[in-house]
Amino acid sequence: MVIRQVFIILVVLISNISWSQSKYTVSGYVKDARSGETLIGANVFVKSETESGASTNTYGFYSISLPEGDYELICSYLGYQEKQISLNLHQNQTLNIEMTEGVIIDEVVISADKEEKRKNVESTQMGTIELPVENIKLLPAIFGEVDLLKAIQLLPGVLSSGEGNAGFYVRGGGPDQNLVLLDEALVYNAGHMLGFFSVFNSDAIKNTTLIKGSMPANYGGRLSSVLDIQMKDGNDKKYAVEGGIGLVSSRLTVQGPVKQNKSSFILSGRRTYILDLAQPALKGSSFEGTNYYFYDLNTKWNYVFSNKNRIFFSGYFGRDVLTFRQPTRDFSFDLPYGNKTATLRWNHLFNDKHFMNLSAVYNDYRFEFSGGQDEYNFKLFSGVKDWNIKADLEYYHGQKHTLKYGANITHHTLTPNTASAVIGDVKFNSKFKPKYALEGAAYVLDDIKFSKNFSFNVGARLSSFSQIGPYKSKLNQDTFGTFQFVKTYFTLEPRISANWKLDINNSIKFGVAKTAQYLHLVSNSSSTLPADLWVPSTEIVKPQLGIQYAIGYFKNFHHDKYEASFEVYYKDLWNQIDYADNYVNDISKEVEDAFVYGKGRAYGAEVFLKKNSGKLNGWFGYTVSRSERSFEAIEGGRWYPAIYDRTHDLSLVANYKPFKKWDFGVVFIYGTGKLFTPVHGFFIVEQQINLYYGPRNSARLDDYHRMDISATFTPRAKNTKRYKGSWTFSVYNVYNRKNPFFVQFNVDTNKETGESQVSGSKITIFPMIPSITYNFKWNQQ
Amino acid sequence: MKRSIFYLLLLTINIFSCEEQYLPSIPETTPQYVVEGYVEAGDSNQPVIVILTKSIPYLSKVSAEVLTNSFVKGAKVSVNDQQNVVQLTEVCLNDLSDDQRKMALELIGLEGDSIGYNICVYVDIFNQVKREIGRSYDLKIDVNGEILSSTTTIPSQVPLYNLIWEEPPGAPNDTLAQLKVHIDDPGDEANFYRYFTSSNGGALIAPFSSVTDDVFFNGQSFEFPLSKAESRDGDFDPDTFGLFMRGDSVTVKWCTIDKAHFDFWNTRDNAANNNGPFSSYTRIASNIQGGQGIWGGYAVNLYHFIVPPK
Repeated sequence: MVIRQVFIILVVLISNISWSQSKYTVSGYVKDARSGETLIGANVFVKSETESGASTNTYGFYSISLPEGDYELICSYLGYQEKQISLNLHQNQTLNIEMTEGVIIDEVVISADKEEKRKNVESTQMGTIELPVENIKLLPAIFGEVDLLKAIQLLPGVLSSGEGNAGFYVRGGGPDQNLVLLDEALVYNAGHMLGFFSVFNSDAIKNTTLIKGSMPANYGGRLSSVLDIQMKDGNDKKYAVEGGIGLVSSRLTVQGPVKQNKSSFILSGRRTYILDLAQPALKGSSFEGTNYYFYDLNTKWNYVFSNKNRIFFSGYFGRDVLTFRQPTRDFSFDLPYGNKTATLRWNHLFNDKHFMNLSAVYNDYRFEFSGGQDEYNFKLFSGVKDWNIKADLEYYHGQKHTLKYGANITHHTLTPNTASAVIGDVKFNSKFKPKYALEGAAYVLDDIKFSKNFSFNVGARLSSFSQIGPYKSKLNQDTFGTFQFVKTYFTLEPRISANWKLDINNSIKFGVAKTAQYLHLVSNSSSTLPADLWVPSTEIVKPQLGIQYAIGYFKNFHHDKYEASFEVYYKDLWNQIDYADNYVNDISKEVEDAFVYGKGRAYGAEVFLKKNSGKLNGWFGYTVSRSERSFEAIEGGRWYPAIYDRTHDLSLVANYKPFKKWDFGVVFIYGTGKLFTPVHGFFIVEQQINLYYGPRNSARLDDYHRMDISATFTPRAKNTKRYKGSWTFSVYNVYNRKNPFFVQFNVDTNKETGESQVSGSKITIFPMIPSITYNFKWNQQ
Repeated sequence: MKRSIFYLLLLTINIFSCEEQYLPSIPETTPQYVVEGYVEAGDSNQPVIVILTKSIPYLSKVSAEVLTNSFVKGAKVSVNDQQNVVQLTEVCLNDLSDDQRKMALELIGLEGDSIGYNICVYVDIFNQVKREIGRSYDLKIDVNGEILSSTTTIPSQVPLYNLIWEEPPGAPNDTLAQLKVHIDDPGDEANFYRYFTSSNGGALIAPFSSVTDDVFFNGQSFEFPLSKAESRDGDFDPDTFGLFMRGDSVTVKWCTIDKAHFDFWNTRDNAANNNGPFSSYTRIASNIQGGQGIWGGYAVNLYHFIVPPK
């Protein structure tokens, strides 16, 4: 019924625009002139009428249809020189545009171009923010490690999951409700070292888009947000090397042409070495041989067959490796975990207006633990493995419609904690088998410029999820063979957003999006851990559902130097999953048997003010919000604030470039204290003090605030030599605020008097931390 | 698992972290009644015993006076063994002679000189409750009209056998020994185990993780190392942890318990062991209606020996 309605609306809207026989299409790719890297979101438009234009898609492709005639086309992109091209349009035409990076003149640092700035008011998208990596690199970073996930936490509506942590919560949703994509491959665990670093090496990243509001219909599978990250394609003209040497890790990226202007590669690696350096100190101790490190490898290769066909292969491989050794007791364990992803893509143009991307994606997240002492050995393994095929098509119908449609199917293998132990000759195995599922979706959406002042993005997504065999039902003991369907869920997810332009500088937008999520990560920790399990929807576990309503006012002022927005949102969430209060993590039991189900709601208001250009630029963000949950099995369904709830959240980000050789950055963050469940008292059993707790999340830690600063010195900023180096000095938590990371309750006994007392202590983990990083770049002349 | 991850974290960030006292503002809460009661069968002569206390508010100092005051006196405590309802008798240590006091403390599992406060318990002093394997027991407590109740069972015994002493793994050691035991786990039902150890006549204490179910080894016969229970008040020594001293006289109390009894200790041990940045709280699963604590049945197997010299 709803599908039919959506379809009728689409047909009516499309037919509203008449076909014009005398129209021709100009289309092509927009690229960086020096590296050949395609530019995402570049604007191509006709000089005299800015409404006749388009933005490049994720692959740098654009298509504009115009009546026959002569035009001055303008192409612009953030940080690049605007390009003007004369066009005699008398037939369909391919026009690839190469853009040159902006010359750094004294006045301008990184300035968004005029059209770029106008997106705030003009586009139908709301709650969408693009963060260029070059901007992120100028921000102060803890240990000097530039981190994309920490930069997005500075945006309104996005909260950090903890001090120094790369995990994030969007608009009151959980950490598993964010769709994190790296070149279209889903990243199941985006953190290294318990989340203190993200898996994204900024040197290999081209573009990052965060969608926290009305998710368009081409995305799905998560309730809260999309973080879509594209890797660089690699320079197809010249070789280039860049890297950095820091206190914690070092990075190196090599890129260059495989075949000039046709094919290129990029290879990027990063590894930490703090504990490697500590190895001599451990020698001879009880823990000799204990070590920890992580590394990442990103690679991408592409080949342009013709203007109509291009293929890409991209891969990511990352691991955290912990080895613990205690030779004096013959005790040891190894704990490696990490992600592997591979994406093969084919970009194909059916014609000037019809673009297709076909992807095959493989990803694999595994967590392993193996340890032992003497003849006792224990192994644990869990993981997620996906095979995914997806087709995404775009049809540029005239100037008023961009139609996107597509479908995808994913085969999931989710391995729960599979434990095995060996004691001498006896073997023990947990009986859990992997669970299998097929997840599918088909979508259609249209971005419609209805009139000069009114535009829509309307679409729908039909998603399905089937648990498949081999499986033995827990409900009726039925046995299912390979690929036999156990249980199937369907969800229709309508999405709409609209823009009503009041005048050239002011607009009002609203959006409604329904979303479904079929894979769940439930953690009973205050933060997500690598050992936390992803579990599928099954005959027992229902899909999570959510609906978000948002409305906002968007304004540009001072000749587009400033942009501002004010958004409010309300979310309803169903089939939320948690553990009961007396849950004990036990690897011999399936987690889904310990789940409890409930509902959630979240609402809030966000203010965003951004200065785009000038010596001083940056932004201010403020959020006031509430996120609540209610579970029948937890205190009888009482609505309590979710662990993701933070009443106030404020961030101030500024970059200042007073001189050619110096860049300064400052970040200030303030947030209401994190929630926790307080101890209300204690009782004695077996002569031991046992704590009993008050209601869930009924107390808060102290408010969080912190300031970080950075200074980047580029000795030869104007130098056109092949080698360029820069020093970044940064100080994290500059006024040494002791922000509590967590509260711990201990029982202290005075051995002389025999008196005991329960005491709370707050643990601060990051005081003021100065750091220094050297970054370098070498380019073939 | 969580612990090892926690250590990893500590290893890497310890140099930066700092700890400060924290006094959260916590509302006044009314104290709750806490029951600690046991009924044992098998290798046990212990009569049914119930300790009834009131919980102590957070931020109170646990002094002898506070502990003495936490015992609830004058309650009507009765146990129904499905044949008879037996009224337990309230006994306070300070009312007893020295000999009686010593005997009573032994029953509770305490060493006499370590107690600086008055303990009051409810005991089946004439041993009237029929304590046997397979029976279930209803507890009812009436404190000034407020009713607490619970039920427990004593499941079948599952004995240990082939108890042997071995060299601990790792570097050679003359003074320490590792205890190894065998068990045949019954396959037809879920079994739950708890154990205690004592050395040289000291009190029987339970290890940090004192309970296990048989999900992982249901129906199997196998050998496993049994760790010595360490006092929570003592200092943790990674080189001797879980090992027995050669020459010591050792007692192992090996028990089977029912599901609710297991859940109590399982959540209790988890709550006591899990403390750190990534652990959320664990609410202890009590089987007492109207209060906190445990009413638990034990099927006891007792083993005494002297750890042989190398």
